[in-house]
Amino acid sequence: MIALIVTLVTLTLLKATPIVYAALGGVISERSGVVNIGLEGMMAAGAFSAVVASNAVGSPDGNVVVGPIVGLIVGILVGALFGWILGYAATKFKVDQIVAGMGINLLCAGGAAYGLVLIFNQPGASNQVNSLGNWYWVLMVFAAVCAIGLHWLIYHTPWGLRVQACGENPHAVKSAGLNPLKLRVVAVTISGALAGLGGAFLSIGELNLYSDQMTAGRGFIALAAVIFGRWTPLGATGAAIFFGFFEALQFVLQGHVGWLPSDAMTALPYLAALVALAGITGRVRAPASDGVPY
Amino acid sequence: MKQARVLFSGPLGAFILVIVLMSLAMIVAGASPVDGFYALIHGTLGGWPEVAETLTQTTFLLLPALGICLAFRAGLFNIGAEGQLLIGGLLAGAIGAHLFAPAIVAIPIVLIASMIGGGIWGGIAGWMKARFGANEIIATLMLNFVAMSLANYLVGGPLKSPLATGAETAPLHPNTWLPILLPGTRLSIALLVALAIAVVLQFVFTRTVFGYEVRAIGEAPEAARRNKVNIKRLTWLSLAVSGAIAGLGGGTIVTGELHRFNTELSPGYGFTAIAVALVADLNPLWVCVSAFGFGILEAGAPALQLKANVPKDAIHVIEGLIILVLAARRYISTRKEAAPI
Amino acid sequence: MDCALQLRGIRKTYPGVVAVDNVDLELYAGEIHALVGENGAGKSTLANIAFGEVKADAGSVKSSGTVGLVHQHFELVGRLHVWQNIMLGREPRKGFQIDVGAARDRVRELARGNGLEIDPDAYVDDLPIGIQQRVELLRELEREPSVLLLDEPTAALAPAEIGAFFATITALAKRGTAIMIVTHKLQEVIAYSNRVSVMRHGKIVAQMDSYSTTVDDIAKAMVGGELPEVAQREATTLSPCLQVRDVRVGSGAGSLDAMTLDVRSGEIVGIAGVEGNGQTALADAIAGMLPYAGSIRREGALGIVPQDRHKEGLVMSWSIVDNVVFGRQHDPGIQKGLLLDRTRARRDAQSIQERFDVRAASLDVAAKTLSGGNQQKVVVGRALIDDPRLVIAYNPTRGIDVGAAALVQSRLMQARNGGAAILLISFELDEILTLADRILVMYRGAIVGSFDRANVDRATIGRLMAGSTR
Repeated sequence: MIALIVTLVTLTLLKATPIVYAALGGVISERSGVVNIGLEGMMAAGAFSAVVASNAVGSPDGNVVVGPIVGLIVGILVGALFGWILGYAATKFKVDQIVAGMGINLLCAGGAAYGLVLIFNQPGASNQVNSLGNWYWVLMVFAAVCAIGLHWLIYHTPWGLRVQACGENPHAVKSAGLNPLKLRVVAVTISGALAGLGGAFLSIGELNLYSDQMTAGRGFIALAAVIFGRWTPLGATGAAIFFGFFEALQFVLQGHVGWLPSDAMTALPYLAALVALAGITGRVRAPASDGVPY
Repeated sequence: MKQARVLFSGPLGAFILVIVLMSLAMIVAGASPVDGFYALIHGTLGGWPEVAETLTQTTFLLLPALGICLAFRAGLFNIGAEGQLLIGGLLAGAIGAHLFAPAIVAIPIVLIASMIGGGIWGGIAGWMKARFGANEIIATLMLNFVAMSLANYLVGGPLKSPLATGAETAPLHPNTWLPILLPGTRLSIALLVALAIAVVLQFVFTRTVFGYEVRAIGEAPEAARRNKVNIKRLTWLSLAVSGAIAGLGGGTIVTGELHRFNTELSPGYGFTAIAVALVADLNPLWVCVSAFGFGILEAGAPALQLKANVPKDAIHVIEGLIILVLAARRYISTRKEAAPI
Repeated sequence: MDCALQLRGIRKTYPGVVAVDNVDLELYAGEIHALVGENGAGKSTLANIAFGEVKADAGSVKSSGTVGLVHQHFELVGRLHVWQNIMLGREPRKGFQIDVGAARDRVRELARGNGLEIDPDAYVDDLPIGIQQRVELLRELEREPSVLLLDEPTAALAPAEIGAFFATITALAKRGTAIMIVTHKLQEVIAYSNRVSVMRHGKIVAQMDSYSTTVDDIAKAMVGGELPEVAQREATTLSPCLQVRDVRVGSGAGSLDAMTLDVRSGEIVGIAGVEGNGQTALADAIAGMLPYAGSIRREGALGIVPQDRHKEGLVMSWSIVDNVVFGRQHDPGIQKGLLLDRTRARRDAQSIQERFDVRAASLDVAAKTLSGGNQQKVVVGRALIDDPRLVIAYNPTRGIDVGAAALVQSRLMQARNGGAAILLISFELDEILTLADRILVMYRGAIVGSFDRANVDRATIGRLMAGSTR
């Protein structure tokens, strides 16, 4: 029994980690006033590019240290790039944030699938590459650091105050002599970087390859976590762990509860997100200018 | 100059954009655009069988795109057409396998069943939005995954055909098969059904009170609330109808092509359909044109892969880019109205 | 005198409109300068150019220091503290963090120095409108501007607060700040400013010393001729139409507290009050948009002129035809089974266009292409088209030109003459005094005074609006 609980807790934290990164990305983006529907795609982009980078730097029997580190950095940068694209489109071109975010999702998912064929010459999954291996826990700890760091950034620094104001009323930010557009672009870029890191954890942290549809809606679950966590970094982290628990539960139950069909259990995290979404909304308030172009 | 901008910000601009993006994709894949486009045109419009296949793909995209069109016009981002399509197909397959009736009765029953399936799936998200204020984007997307799990479970267990080796339902009774329009191809009357729905939808938007109110909540929700529009009712209703149309898409795939249900029903029609609807500016009649355009892409993908070595997935990259650029395009064509006085 | 702000040859065009046309304007240190004009005359654009928010097509802007702008609709963040709003962008730091103590101290010091009392730790959302304006003013003063632009600064203030506000402004001017007030309240122009510039069609058409001019002269210069007249009041027979008894809605700011009033057919009842005293809740409760305790009885059809034509009245991307049936789509005669009778909609649109002189290229153009005055004519025309027994008119002439306003007021008066009961809620005391047969003063969700047209006492109404008891 105790072994089971330990397994469940470890697995929960493992499964929650990518969602935590993406959810933190969602928080910073939405606090600045941009809804980042593209988190899912940014995760996929991060996951895929991390594998590509790790693959490019060293063969599996070559240098096993540099590859994953370069992979992580590239994953973060590529996520940030797509974050910047969304941020730039949402501010400079005042595009519909939802439509642009969906465009990014299709683009990244399709791009990764396209890339699998171009680079690894096979659809479905990449080659196995050098991964973090036993060092994956570093990224789990770092997720906690990011959560606390983001909390500090939003609530204790001048930049955080400005981002908060920007999500509530960008005109007030403008009146204070600041540039709300720039604040938003930076916030969404950071958002993309965090999602990219979450994706990289999926591909070269937890595993050692990229497979098609690997993100499996985690970017959207992260969005639900943002709402469930009331747009706060610590709340969203808690919510992400909650959803991670259901993902972990599915694995643990599969081994122990025979009468529950495994297909029903794969739906658990999504059902949890649905129930959480229905239960919490109406009692929480989004930033006043969330999703409203300036 | 001004005229040129209007022209290029319209459908022509979208068309040119697609050509440019596709050329790029071909060049990246190491093929010459000339060969690529030749392969594409030849493979999709080169003869009657090819045209029929293109129109079949058009149909598969058209129905979910029309469903999406309705929801988006109501300001509801239904990105769950894929799941609604799946459940629609599931219900059509489950009922069609056990229905012994003359075709004139059987076909409508199966198609209506698929609409009910998709309608329920869309309606759940609509109800969550109306009742709890749950974000419909996340809800519809989560429901896609739940639909997939549910379908996998059902065709792997309770609905599994004892004769089939893979996970699929028993074959449909031939009386439920949709009549084929062009003998020797898989182009069925589903195309006519889809076109009829497009015309009806256009009529609904322009002539009916329901369509008027849908446009109202999409364009100005607060004004709608203050002008006797029952927003909650309209929210679940438009998502349910939207889901029903997408579900019908699943139903026509099952009855028109597969003649049984399995979870490989759709390679992502529900997502491509988002691009189809957006390119057409959410106008049902233009959606038909845009679905034909994307039908060429979908039907031509195998030819492109074979002859020009361009991977199938390049098309999704192009779709993503089109959506991104379209969102920006709307800015270009509306910015002349931005005087702050 | 020192020139604090100098505008030379300023020109700004938007597609189809010359908003500002070759304007020269000088502002001197220590003066209070009023800028007046009709809506669409270009004063807001000119103010925004002076502030630097809008870039002029031609001309130059020179200022001796920073320029501050206090907006009509305050640009504040309601969910942040007062100190966070005031120090935004200029946060004192301790390492990488905000030095909260220093920020609070700075706000207190600033407030004391300007005689504006404020609690730095209050949330802006919890403050009444008058105090919110202080926050916005303090935010601008924190930057020690040499020029301060104020856009309709007294629009949301009670008459009694206006005096105090101008005392602050006058003291500021005495210390050398150049102040420009964009306003349409001409009495305040005469009472508190040194000079006044009048804009019409993008040009400055008159500039005078405030002490040597009159309200009438300024108004004539604004309109460019005589002022239009409002339709005559006729004798009517009164009969009960709307009874509001002991109605309560919500709590706190904007709530209703034991609201009781009657409006009879054939009269206009004006609700005088400062914004935020429950007027919106009153209108919404009568319209059935809000749950309430107590009783509301009304007879016959209801026509509503909502307070915000952009957000509540019209769908801006829709044609005039589509808009004139908005809110009436379920009425018999418009809904035919599942269908919307578009022939009827077009006929209604034509009749509104004729009766209200709606100037539009066609009935199929989008509402957003119309001027504010013409948009409002569509909204008022729609509210009156079915000859409703009861009309709620909420700020029916806000932000529209004098000609359109007179036309709207005339149609309301004619509806009254024809036997409609009209509840007029307006933040413009002048409008209420022009139209109303009876005036009720509203303060904190209840009626605190009632006046017949015959014995109106402007000073008393002003005091009641501010919450003082006689």
